[in-house]
Amino acid sequence: MKLWIKIVLALAVAGIAAVFFIVHFVVNKPHPDIEKMNPDYTLDAGKFYKEFRTSKQNAHKLYNGKVIEISGKLNRVESVDTMTIAVFVFNQGMFGEEGIRCTMLKKFSPEVKKLKSDGVVRIKGYCTGATETDVIMEKCSLIY
Amino acid sequence: MMKKYWIVFTLLGFYFSGYSQAFVTKNGMIRFYSETKLEKIEAVNRQVNVAFMPPTGDFFFKVLIKSFNFEKALMQEHFNENYLESAKYPDATFVGKITNYQEINFKKDGTYPANVEGKLTIHGQTRQVKQTGTLEIKNGLVTARAKFSILLADYNISVPNTVVNNISKSIEITVEATMAELNKN
Repeated sequence: MKLWIKIVLALAVAGIAAVFFIVHFVVNKPHPDIEKMNPDYTLDAGKFYKEFRTSKQNAHKLYNGKVIEISGKLNRVESVDTMTIAVFVFNQGMFGEEGIRCTMLKKFSPEVKKLKSDGVVRIKGYCTGATETDVIMEKCSLIY
Repeated sequence: MMKKYWIVFTLLGFYFSGYSQAFVTKNGMIRFYSETKLEKIEAVNRQVNVAFMPPTGDFFFKVLIKSFNFEKALMQEHFNENYLESAKYPDATFVGKITNYQEINFKKDGTYPANVEGKLTIHGQTRQVKQTGTLEIKNGLVTARAKFSILLADYNISVPNTVVNNISKSIEITVEATMAELNKN
């Protein structure tokens, strides 16, 4: 085989490998597995909520987009469509109860639904910020 | 900053001004959809605070930008970091009115056309919007539905040249929220 053909073939293979690499590991990279990630912060649920209420801007800077592990007394579990939401309540406000709302990963829904209200739980999730009423956590998992 | 305080005070005003009736949900849904020849992009947020006060027609929603979920992680990253800059502008809000609220019979089940007017704030930019949607009254619940488009340029959202053909300049937004009457007792 002539040298130039070998060079062209080598470049073609390298090009295909590069495209595969970019598509697989960059364009189609998976979402972060929050369940397996170490928390950036581990906090008491009440303290976490209070930080957002007393200094929302600072709390946003500190916790938004971070993996947070909280522990505290769970008040209620809500089912909305296919979502299961663990709710910690700390206040009464314009939308009724206010607190921390943790949308659970689907695999944890059956266990969370069995939890008794007022039991102490540890939940880890991705903090997306706070509305006027609640701190929102997503992709949450139960910590045993 | 003043706008945010204004929204908070407006809401507190709603609450304390003795409204006889308010419908709310914390699980409203907003969907973004962009379609070009190269790519379809969809993001859904099911953690939207929505409030509607029938006595005056006041209508409000607030959505956290980081709560939008995309199929592709890379697109979600770009959406938060480059386009919506969610660290700087963590939420989007709508504060307005359903202007024809007096034509809606909240005691009778049915689907009613709703004309909505108000201020939509995305990416720190506020624009006056006027859209139509529907309100469905069923079994004491109120479901608001609307579908409309916004221009990225109106909200100062710029798309890099490298992906300019992948993202539509006009984004379709779908809002759906089933609200229950707030019990103030």
